[in-house]
Amino acid sequence: MSIIQVENLKYQYPSAEHLALNNLTFTINQGEFIGIAGANKAGKTSLCMALCGLIPHFFKGAYGGNVLVNDKPVRDTPLNNLTDLTGLVLDHPFTQLSGAKNTVFGEIAFGLENKGVPRKLMLERIEEVLHLLHISELRNKHPFTLSGGEMQRVAIASALALKPDILLLDEPTSQLDAARTTEVFRMLANLADQGTTLIIAEYNIEKMALHCHRILLLNTGSAIDFNTPRWVFSRPDLNEHGIVPPLITRLAKSLHIKRDDGLYPVETREFNALGGFVDA
Amino acid sequence: MRHSQKWTASLSTAALVLIPTAIGINYLGKLFAGLLKLPLWLDSIGTILASMLAGPFIGAISGILNNVMFGITVDPISFVYAITSGVIGLVVGIMAYQGWLANVRRALIIGLVVGVTAALVSTPLNIIFWGGQTGNIWGDALFAYGLSIGLPLWFASFLDSIIVDVPDKVATVLISYFIFTGLPNQLKGLYARHNDIQEL
Amino acid sequence: MHKLSLFVDQSSLIYKIDPISKMMYAMIAFLTPYILPHITAAIAITALSFSLLLIGRVFRHIVPILGVSLLLILSIVIVQGLFYPDNATPLFQVMGLTFYQEGSEHALLLTLRVLNMLAACGVLILTTPPDVIINSLMRLGMSPRVGYVLLSVLNIIPHMRATMARITEAQKARGVELEGNLKTRLKSFFFLMGPVILSSLNQTRERALALELRGFNAHAPRTFASASGAYPLYKISRVCVVILLLLVVSWRLYL
Ligand SMILES: Nc1ncnc2c1ncn2[C@@H]1O[C@H](COP(=O)(O)OP(=O)(O)OP(=O)(O)O)[C@@H](O)[C@H]1O
Ligand SMILES: [Mg+2]
Repeated sequence: MSIIQVENLKYQYPSAEHLALNNLTFTINQGEFIGIAGANKAGKTSLCMALCGLIPHFFKGAYGGNVLVNDKPVRDTPLNNLTDLTGLVLDHPFTQLSGAKNTVFGEIAFGLENKGVPRKLMLERIEEVLHLLHISELRNKHPFTLSGGEMQRVAIASALALKPDILLLDEPTSQLDAARTTEVFRMLANLADQGTTLIIAEYNIEKMALHCHRILLLNTGSAIDFNTPRWVFSRPDLNEHGIVPPLITRLAKSLHIKRDDGLYPVETREFNALGGFVDA
Repeated sequence: MRHSQKWTASLSTAALVLIPTAIGINYLGKLFAGLLKLPLWLDSIGTILASMLAGPFIGAISGILNNVMFGITVDPISFVYAITSGVIGLVVGIMAYQGWLANVRRALIIGLVVGVTAALVSTPLNIIFWGGQTGNIWGDALFAYGLSIGLPLWFASFLDSIIVDVPDKVATVLISYFIFTGLPNQLKGLYARHNDIQEL
Repeated sequence: MHKLSLFVDQSSLIYKIDPISKMMYAMIAFLTPYILPHITAAIAITALSFSLLLIGRVFRHIVPILGVSLLLILSIVIVQGLFYPDNATPLFQVMGLTFYQEGSEHALLLTLRVLNMLAACGVLILTTPPDVIINSLMRLGMSPRVGYVLLSVLNIIPHMRATMARITEAQKARGVELEGNLKTRLKSFFFLMGPVILSSLNQTRERALALELRGFNAHAPRTFASASGAYPLYKISRVCVVILLLLVVSWRLYL
């Protein structure tokens, strides 16, 4: 069942000279885990903003085409009605903090308080996400004193506490170490299994290849491809789009290890099953 | 119609979040002025920038809340001048709307108007609360001299305010003006009043 | 992180009074010497405010606050004593300067008002953390948007102070001078302020985005994660505040 439909979406920022999003058309189903890949300035952040309504409600500029979320046209729906459906985590962790709270606990409560969630339910949800992101021990710390990685996890927790149907994440692991990144991706994959639709813009190709159902490849605002990780990372022209495929795929390409359908594997298990040998 | 649009634009989330930042900048200006031993307060740069960026309403609120928060966290005397700070934001915002940010010379006029207005608003406050003084040595010496030569109390008190306020406000407005002109358009456009979505 | 507040973290009778009652007291006490322009009233209310500080065991913490206004008070005493326009009766002479009775009485009234104002505010702000004051006002119905702004200020200023320390170090290393003639120092002022202003304005934009998606403009009636504080003296303190108000008003009417 499709939850997001994008038709001929075009967008240009107010004082910009060219399109940030150029004629995008695609559909996303409920419970899918989508990765957005692309070089600097490809339009990843802009697309996230267009899917949650910040474009065109916060950033005005020039807009064309249609984005439907749950069959509601984003353009004609007030931002307020969209935010019950979608959550967003942006890349700069410090500015994701509300700035008005003096504990991590209060910070996570911020959105719930705004939305008038009853106190008992609110406390349950906060405990739940503190646990999910392994930040229970930070609960009484001042958010401004956290490290970048800790702030990022608090930002993800704050968005999750609102239980959005769709969660958009723009480089949510940029300041996390490898172990934490793995943890966060696993948790997100779990959420997708439970029905949340996840859309993540990331430079961490390895993790996206491992967990995302489909990859949307962007280049200067245009969609180059939207398909399974195997398909997208098997493309011969990835270099032109500023993408380095996963290590395993590169290895498979150089050793000519292919699947029957002609695609290269993106994960170790499949690579080994096809006759390669890499220690997992 | 245009008016109501202005009103809602000035209360956007972006504009609201600007207020604490403005108050923080005010505070920072005061700290740096002290650190560099500048003979001025320079403690309203944030309020004035907020007025230039987001208009008189946000500017006025920034000014008022600046003094309220300073009052409950540092020095209660600051409550008294909340009105003055609010009026400063209002004046700069209105003059900015009317094109007085076009060049330095015009900005200088904003500074003079702000200084005189601030003195005008502070004078009755100073008379009601402290009998006409400001607590500034040079200003109060002038006030005492004015009284001793028989000037009316309100006028002596106005002189006291004006010699303190005008130089400080002119300097503050000019500094804010130079900072404002250096800001990227992306930032200025964020609080712009009439921008609609265009069709593509 | 260093907190922005005059709150003294301890416990005493005054701490058991709810913030709204204390705020009402501060306002009534502040206004009293203006409503009742009689020196007795000013003395009475100032004495009351200072007694509350004593009872609250925060008396010594009001001293630095009074210290800030010392110059203002000195100026009031000297200038009014010497030059108050209604001066007629000489009181005493110091170094050839004549202090007059009218001016000195006026100065006494003004000084009491200043002291009373500081002490009355002190009753509130020395015994109540600022975020508790703001949250109480929000529970009472103050717009959460205003509440947001006020609470943010409490966090942003310590953050700015930390930023300032960092920048001063960095710019000093780059050769920005903190001493020298006025022109040099003014130039340094730009070098120091410019980057912070730019980065904090940029952060403002991103923060606004994040807030929009966290229900900042939601219309639902707001709820609170923290339980409202327990104030055992809630009822009795409200009654006392109302009695004080009635006393002041009836004294005024009687005059
Ligand atoms: N606020 C803005 N105003 C004007 N132009 C903008 C704005 N934000 C982004 N752009 C422009 O839009 C285009 C797409 O940028 P976007 O930030 O969406 O790319 P991105 O893929 O997220 O890049 P990055 O990997 O650097 O985060 C770029 O050309 C950028 O310069
Ligand atoms: Mg981006």
